[in-house]
Order: sequence, then C-alpha cells, then structure tokens
Amino acid sequence: MNHLYVEKLSVSFEGFKALDIDIFELEENELRVIIGPNGAGKTTLLDVLCGKTRPDRGHAVFGGLELTHLSEDEIVAAGVGRKFQTPSVFTSLSVLDNLVLAMRMDRGVFKSLMHRLCATDRQRIEAVAERTGLQDLLEEMAGTLSHGQKQWLEIAMVILQEPKLFLVDEPAAGMSDEETYKTGLLLQDLAADHSLIVIEHDMEFVRQIARKVTVLHEGKVLVEGSMEEVQSDPRVIECYLGTSMEREEAHIAAS
Amino acid sequence: MSATRHHWIALGLFALFGLLVPLLNAQGFIADTTLNLWGRYFCFAIVALGMDLIWGYTGILSLCQAFFFCLGGYAIGMHMLLKTGTRGVYGSVLPDFMVWNRVEELPFFWEPFHSLPLTLLLGLLVPGAAALIFGFLAFRSRIKGVYFAIITQALALAMWLLFLRNETMLGGTNGLTDFKSLLGFELTQPATKRGLYITTCAALLAAYYLCRYMVHSKVGKLLVAIRDGEHRLRFIGYHITRYKIFVFVVAGMLAGLGGMLYVPQTGIITPGRMDVQASIEIVVWTALGGRGTLVGAMVGAVLVNLLYSYLTGAFPGTWLYFLGILFIGIVLFFPEGIVGIATKLRKRGAKKA
Amino acid sequence: MRKTYLPRLLFVAAILTWIAATGSQSWATTAGTDGETRLFKQLSSAEDEAIESAVRELAERGDPAYYELMHGLFNGEVYVWQERAEHAGLVIIGEEEMDEYGDSIVPLFAIYPQRQALRDPQGAAVVVSLYDLEEVETGRKIRALIQPYLMRAELFHPEAQKRRIAAENIGNKGGAAAIPILRQAIESETDGSIKRLKQVSLAKLLLDHQDATVRLQAVQQLEDLNSPLALPLLQARLQAGGTETEPDAKVREQIETAIGSLKRFGFYMQIVQTFFSGLSLGSILVLMALGLAIIYGQIGVINMAHGEFMMIGAYTTYVVQNLCLALLPPAYTDLFFALSLPFAFLTAGGIGLLMELIIIRHLYSRPLESLLATWGISLILIQLARSIFGDLTAVKLPRILSGGYEIAPQIVLPYNRMFIMALAAAIVGGLLILFFRTRFGLRLRATTQNRDMSACVGIPVRRIDALAFLLGTGIAGIAGWAMTLIGNVVPNMGQTYIVDSFLVVVTGGVGKLLGTISAGLGLGIFNKILEPLFEAVYSKVILLGLIILFLQSRPTGLFPARGRSEEL
Repeated sequence: MNHLYVEKLSVSFEGFKALDIDIFELEENELRVIIGPNGAGKTTLLDVLCGKTRPDRGHAVFGGLELTHLSEDEIVAAGVGRKFQTPSVFTSLSVLDNLVLAMRMDRGVFKSLMHRLCATDRQRIEAVAERTGLQDLLEEMAGTLSHGQKQWLEIAMVILQEPKLFLVDEPAAGMSDEETYKTGLLLQDLAADHSLIVIEHDMEFVRQIARKVTVLHEGKVLVEGSMEEVQSDPRVIECYLGTSMEREEAHIAAS
Repeated sequence: MSATRHHWIALGLFALFGLLVPLLNAQGFIADTTLNLWGRYFCFAIVALGMDLIWGYTGILSLCQAFFFCLGGYAIGMHMLLKTGTRGVYGSVLPDFMVWNRVEELPFFWEPFHSLPLTLLLGLLVPGAAALIFGFLAFRSRIKGVYFAIITQALALAMWLLFLRNETMLGGTNGLTDFKSLLGFELTQPATKRGLYITTCAALLAAYYLCRYMVHSKVGKLLVAIRDGEHRLRFIGYHITRYKIFVFVVAGMLAGLGGMLYVPQTGIITPGRMDVQASIEIVVWTALGGRGTLVGAMVGAVLVNLLYSYLTGAFPGTWLYFLGILFIGIVLFFPEGIVGIATKLRKRGAKKA
Repeated sequence: MRKTYLPRLLFVAAILTWIAATGSQSWATTAGTDGETRLFKQLSSAEDEAIESAVRELAERGDPAYYELMHGLFNGEVYVWQERAEHAGLVIIGEEEMDEYGDSIVPLFAIYPQRQALRDPQGAAVVVSLYDLEEVETGRKIRALIQPYLMRAELFHPEAQKRRIAAENIGNKGGAAAIPILRQAIESETDGSIKRLKQVSLAKLLLDHQDATVRLQAVQQLEDLNSPLALPLLQARLQAGGTETEPDAKVREQIETAIGSLKRFGFYMQIVQTFFSGLSLGSILVLMALGLAIIYGQIGVINMAHGEFMMIGAYTTYVVQNLCLALLPPAYTDLFFALSLPFAFLTAGGIGLLMELIIIRHLYSRPLESLLATWGISLILIQLARSIFGDLTAVKLPRILSGGYEIAPQIVLPYNRMFIMALAAAIVGGLLILFFRTRFGLRLRATTQNRDMSACVGIPVRRIDALAFLLGTGIAGIAGWAMTLIGNVVPNMGQTYIVDSFLVVVTGGVGKLLGTISAGLGLGIFNKILEPLFEAVYSKVILLGLIILFLQSRPTGLFPARGRSEEL
C-alpha cells in the first residue's frame, strides 16, 4: 500500500531539463539512497514529491494518491515528510514550540486556537527529543542551536509529523564525523517503520546506511543496485569522472 | 513577567485611564477636549493591535488597514445620520448631503443601518468580509512580501477614490458629519463623551486580551512561524493560506471596531482617513512601539498621535518632516521599537544587578 | 480694402515687434494719428451718440490694431482714467483683486495698439482702485456694431489660437452674413489645420443656403473634410418636423451617406486616439516603472520615494529653465529643455545615490522595512519641495513640442505626448544596450541572479548596487523631466503615478525588462480602453480587480523567474 511509484516524470526550467525519470519505485519501509553529481536532479525529485515543484508531466503515486495533483498540506496529510537541505527551523520559536507545531494533529485554524498541549502529546515530544538528542534543549530558542542541532531538530520535526515516506536531503551536511554517524544510526532506526529516500554526497555516510542505491545523472536514472554494484558500474565511474575531467579541462582553459 | 502580574498591570492601567480619568473629568479636573482626544488615541490603539497581529507577528505588511478602519467608521456614521432624522439642515429624513445631491430615496444599502445592533454587527462584518475576500484572492495565489504591500496599497488607493465620489452615496469628499445622537444620547453632552471614552477603554482592554490569547495560543506560534519560514510550515502540512486569511480578517475587524468607536467621538468621517498615507501611518505606530509585542502597538499609537497633536499645534508645517524622520529613524536605529529598547535596558540592568 | 489688408497687417506686426524689442514706452504717443485722437476723445466723452459714431468709424476702418480696444469695449473692460494723458485717458482693466482694505483694485493696460501693462516711471505695474475709473458704457446697439469687426479681426488675427477659436465659432453662429468674410479668411489662411476648420465652418454655413445644389456641395464638402464637428448639424437636418429639416430629397440622401462615413471615420479616429493616449500613459508608466524595476531586481528594495525622484527631475528642469530665462538671450531660451536633461538625470540620480549610501544599504535584506524607510524619505522630499518652491510652478513648453500632428480636423496627436513615447523607447533601447552589451550590464545581470556567486567571482557587488540605484533614480529624474511637458510641477506630482507603476512592476514580474515594458504599455492601453466605458475612478478599480485576477493564475507576473531556488 505505502509504495511509491514514479513514472515518466519530467521537469524543465527555461528549456533546461532538470528531471526526466522513466520509472522509479520504492517499496514499503525501504531505505533508498540517491546519489549523483551536482545538477543530476536529486533535489528536484524530492521537490516534486513534496509538492514544491510541479512537474511538466508524469506521475508520482504514493499510497494510491497522485502526489502531483495535491497541494503541499494534502501531501503531508498523505504521509510524506521532508527534511530540507539547509536546516530550516523557526528561529524565533523555542525548540519545544517547533516540535509542537510539527506534531501530527488537526491543522485547522480554530482547532489551533483552542489547542492545549496534553500530557500524552508532551510525552511523545519528549520521547522524540530524546531520540534526537534534544531533550535538554527544549526551552532554547531554535535560532541559538548549532548547525548539527538544527539538522536534528528538523529531523525530529519530521518524525513528529509521523510520515510514512520520509524524504531526507543531505542530512549530514555540515556535521562532524561523530554527528554524521549518529544521524546514520537514527535513519537506519527509522527505516524499520518508514520508507526513506536519502540524498547524500558523503560516500562514507552512504556506505554506512545504504541498502539499495539509485544513481541519477542529468535528470535520468542511470543505475540502481547495491552499493558494490553501483560503485563498480563503469557508467557511474564515467559520469562522476567525466564531470570532474570536464571541470579540470575548464579549469585549465580558464587559467 | 508572570501572567498574574501582567493581568494586574493591565487592569490597573484600565482603572487609571478608563475609570479615574473620566471621574476627574466629571469633577472638572480634566478638560472635555483632553478626554475626547485620549478616547480617539485609544481607538487608534485598537487598530494598531490588529496591525501588530498581521505585521508584527505574521510579517505581512498590509497597507490598507485604514480602509478597514473607515468601513467601521462609515457604518456607525451612517447609523447616526439616519438617527438624526429631520433635525438636519434641510429638515429631511434623508442625510443632508443626499438632499444636496438631489437624491430622492434612501439607497438600499443604507437601510440596515437604521438598527444599532445591525450597525454594530456590520461595522465588524463588513471590514471582516472585505479582508476575507481580498485576503482569499491575495493569499491563495501566494502574493506576499512586498507584492502584498503594493497590492493592498493599490486597494487602499482605489477604495479611497471610490469613496471620494458622490455616486457611491457616502458623502463624497466631505464624508459623513453633523451627527446628533447615539443610542438617544446627545453627542454634545459631556456625559455622553465620558460614556464613549469608557466604552473605548473597555473595548481596548477586551481587544488586547483577545490578541493576547491569540498570540499565546498555538495560532500565535504559527503566525510567528509564518513570519520565520512560511514555506517550511507549508511542508509541515499547514494550510498557510487559511491562517493568513484568519489573521487578516481579525486585523480588519479590529480596525473596523476602532473606526466605529472613533467616529462618534470626532463627529466626522471623511475619505481622508483612508488615503494611502493613513494606512502607512498605522504601520509606524506599531513600529515605533515595537512589533510583535501588542503592548508596543498600543503605546506607539498613543505616542505618535500625541506627538501629532502637539507638533501641529506648536510647530505647524513640521509634522511631515517629523513623520518622515520617524519612519527612517525607527527602521534604521530602533527596529525593535520602544518596548524592545525597554526590554533590552531591563535585561542589561538585571545582568548588572 | 481686401487687397491692402495683408501688407498692412505685416507692417503693423513689424512695428509691434520693433516696439516690443526696444521696450520703449514712448510708442503710444507716436503711434496715434490725429483721427484716432479724435475718436478716442469721443469714446471717453460718456455721451452715447459720440461713442456710437466713434465705434462705427473704428469698425469701418477695420484696422486690426484696434482689436484690443474693440474687444475691451465689447466686454465692458474699457474705462476712463483721468490721470492718463494718452488715448484720452482710455484704459483696459485687468482681473479684479482685493487690496488690504478690501477694496477692488485692478491693473491697467493700454488700449492701443497693444494690450500692454501700464507702468509707472519706476517700472512697477499700475494698479488703481475701481472708484478712480469711469466705464465707457456700450449698450447692445454698440456691441452689435463691434461684433462684425471682432469676428473679422479674430479670423485674421496673427495669433493662431485666436483664429482657430474664431473659425470654430463662426460656423456655429456666424449666419449668412459671415460667408464672404469667411471665404476671404480661407484664402489668406496659411495654417493648414485652421484652414480646414474654416472650410468646415463655411460648409456648415452653406448648409442653410437657399440653393439645393450649393447645399449638396456643402454636404459633400463636410464629408470630404472628415470633420466630426459637423455630425450633430447634419443629423439635425434629417430630423422630421424640425426648423432645420432639409427639404430636398437628394440632399437628404447625400446627408445620410455623409453621416455614415463621418461616423465610421469617427470610430476609427476614436480607436487611434485610444491607442495613442494609452501608449502615451503606458510610456509614462514604463518610464516610471523601469527605474523601480531595476532597483527592485537588483537589491530587492521597493523604492516608495521613486515618484519623488521624478519630482526632483521636474524641479531641476524648472530651475534650469529659470536660469536660462535669466541668462540666455530670448531667442535661445527654448534650449533650456535640452539643457536640463543631463541635470535632471544627475540631480535625481545623485540624490538617489546619496540616499542609497546613507540609508538604503543598511536595509538590503529587509524589503518591508526598506519600504517604510523610503516612504519616510518621500514624505521629507515632498515637504522640502513644498517649502522651497511653493505649491504650483510650471515649465513652459518648448515651441518645437507645442501643437501636434492633426490626423483629422480637431483630432490632434500632440507632439509632447509623441516625444514622451519616443523618449520611453529611447530609454528602453539604451537600457537594452547597457544591459546586454556592456560590462556593467553583465555584472548587473549577474548580481541580480545570484549575489553571493557574483561576489565570489570578484564582482564589486556593493558598487554595482549603488550604480543600479543611481541608474534607477536617474531614470525617474528623466521621467520627471519629460513630465514637465504635460503637466504642472507640483511637490506631490510623484504620487500620481506611483501606485500604478508599482502595479506595473508587480504585473511584469521581477527583474525582467520585457515584463516591465509590456505590463506598462498594457496597463496604459487597458486604462484608456476602460476609461470611456466607465469613469476614470471605476476603471481604476476594475483594472486593479483585473490585475488581482491575473495574479491568481500567474502570481509572479508575466515573466516569472523559474528555477531551482532554495527559498526557505
């Protein structure tokens, strides 16, 4: 049921084809890592899945719902949660308030007006805070957190949304090695009862968490398979090396 | 500041301004005109509370609040003119300006304003509905930031031009004036003025508590979250548009309430109260006092208008310079406003102690 | 008489210019002849018969130099002032004013041969109380004597505007008596447009001729001349039972076809006019919005004081004009307009740059705050202009730009409007070159797209910002320079168009030159199409509604910037 199916999805920006996926599938409770060089369309794919970008054509079906026709809040209600690349939390609110806002509950205006934080909700928040290492920071202003803490706060917020499909964009960016490792453990833990799509550049981190890897290149799915398969695939080597060689040439030409 | 202490201060201020001042006025210690002037300032403070909700908390700059203010003001003005009956200059049941414009019959939209309860309701609902329709169109298509400010300003301009016309049956340039009584009380009587003043103070207190409740509820957090990162909030699953419309409507209704209390105390409402500059001035009240604090909005409204009364009397011709400098100065040097500065000073004092 | 008229006219005109050039006051005594002195005495005699015979003789002489006197007599503005020796004390009074005691006082003017203000030996204008004057009474009979003279004098008057008005009036109330004079006037007319007007008037008068063939020709003539003025007249002639109903069937038929063709022509002309005035308004909006859009695209600041930079440009033009009037010989004063262009640009741009350096640069990441601060600046600038220049000043229209191109009788496309359109086109062209053909343009476009990246590759972002501000406000100054051609220079002139130009920026989309231009022209034309259908105010409301509806489907304007942007 909670199965993501993407078909013939394409997005272009002013003539430039950012995304052109023929088929992409994700099983229930699968953890998938998407890698690919810059501009491969990784973030654009997530943008389409969470309703930020409308595709030119194509389908993205999750839990029987056509995501490309839904608004952002409907997509969240359908069970898709997203953690953005740059940590985006509400800086003038406390960590607790950030978490309260994110918690799954009725989002109507008048319900929010009448809302009181009950004991069970408080417990849930505290449990998630503990899981993400934020238990001692609940009263702090979110703006005062460190970069890594903000990343975790955002992950905690998405967990509280109780998504079935978890879209994670470069969670380890800007984290120390230790923080990165902890994040990896957290994601693997989450994969027990969530479907996850993780975009990452840090190959160490990818190796830590990856079960199945998809390589995107120039908006298309290049290869899919285990980490070992992908790493030894000549096309992948070419696309990574090719771009770096082009860059080198460009560098030489410029100087 | 603890919540209970806060309540005591609020109630104390109300007792001082809302009860003691009228009492002193009745005893002759405070002039009628002073009382009247302060009553008007408090009306503006109610408007400023709405501005603070939408701009200070939510970060949406609305430049048409004065239009909502006038909708409320015209509503009560229409009611009072109808109640004037045949006591007008021309002795007609129709308001004087209609006789002057050779209108034979009362326009249909004036009919509901014969009844005071209906008038009070419409004085809130009409600005609310205007905000609802406009907010729906603007927020639905995700017009925001500077664009929203510009579009609301254009709306304020268009409505101002519309109200200036005689055909809209709202008195044209001269607006509505020559009111005689409200609820049967003669407006010229000092006792009536006191009554209006006390009502205004009570309304301000109620409006303040309403806003305070809102900003302390989850809605308040959401409004701040909209200001901080509207997009992010959308991807948490909130229907942002509904929240924006809600706060815009509340702000519009507060402005309408302020207008309804204002007009009986000044005895006139003209389109001049809703021109482009009027709306922007409301922003400066809120900014001077300190955004996102509620108290700041009220303090700012009273302070700027006090200064206006003083400067136009003492140094005519300097008001616009002063206002201009105020705009620039606040933005450049005191973005936190008076309340922000006060809080900072208190914190610094607390640290030293 | 008819033959000697033109040379005499030229002679008088030559004398007048000579007199005006020398500026001497002694002309009055030398110009009067004995006969005139006698006539003036009769006029001031306060005896009806003497006045009547003097007027009769003056009218018979037909000398255009009596025009001011006769005009004054006709309107009851000629008085006798006993203290004046010349012209038997006759003077023309000017506009009545109040002195500090509340008495009516009037300035005095000479009656002959020019309506020149009287000055005392110190050179100050002579102003006296009405009680010191005695009116030269002219009854209906005398006025009837004057009227044909005035009609003739005006039809042949050296001032084109006088001739134009006279030509139009005579067609409406001239009567059959005016026909021979009008024919003469057509023959001697040198201005094509006025000549056509006179021809229309002649044809209108001939519609009442007793001969049906003449009437038929007149109708044809009106049709050929394409004058919309003739339409009501022709329609009246088709009405059954009216006093002016055309009896002849053939003429009626001709009238019907003439009406049809005139209406068709009028419709086309209306379209042309609507588009012309729409383009004209659109050009102004484009001129205003271009600067706004450049600044907004570059630094995300909506400059609420933009209209005031236009005002600064207009006042600069005004100051340069006054300097030119004071310093240059009269023949060259028109140069002020061309001369003031760089000043308008530099003054507005300079003040803009100053504002950017002092205030705006602290507000780059705070668009809403910058909006408030610039509003504050606009208040101060308006108030400053008011205290320096007062409330109403005007720049005079340079002679080359006065008048217009007449596409049909009475339908003139004014040159000043055309000039503004051309100016808008030129500035757009200049900006295109600047943006796409220069290094500055490349840097500007780069910073607009990605500030951080541009700073990384070594573009001096701060300097580019400042230059963009100078450019934007400078263009507003040029807009103000152009606006002096079509309106007064007043402190709050910037407010007239500012909200509309904001809407242009919003509708056009951010940072897109093409969007600003098409939105500006589109709004201008839309406005002018709606205006005749609704009133100006309602069309403004409707236009705003349309824009809001338009933004429903395209919230980022006509030409939105799309791309993967992390706008969180």
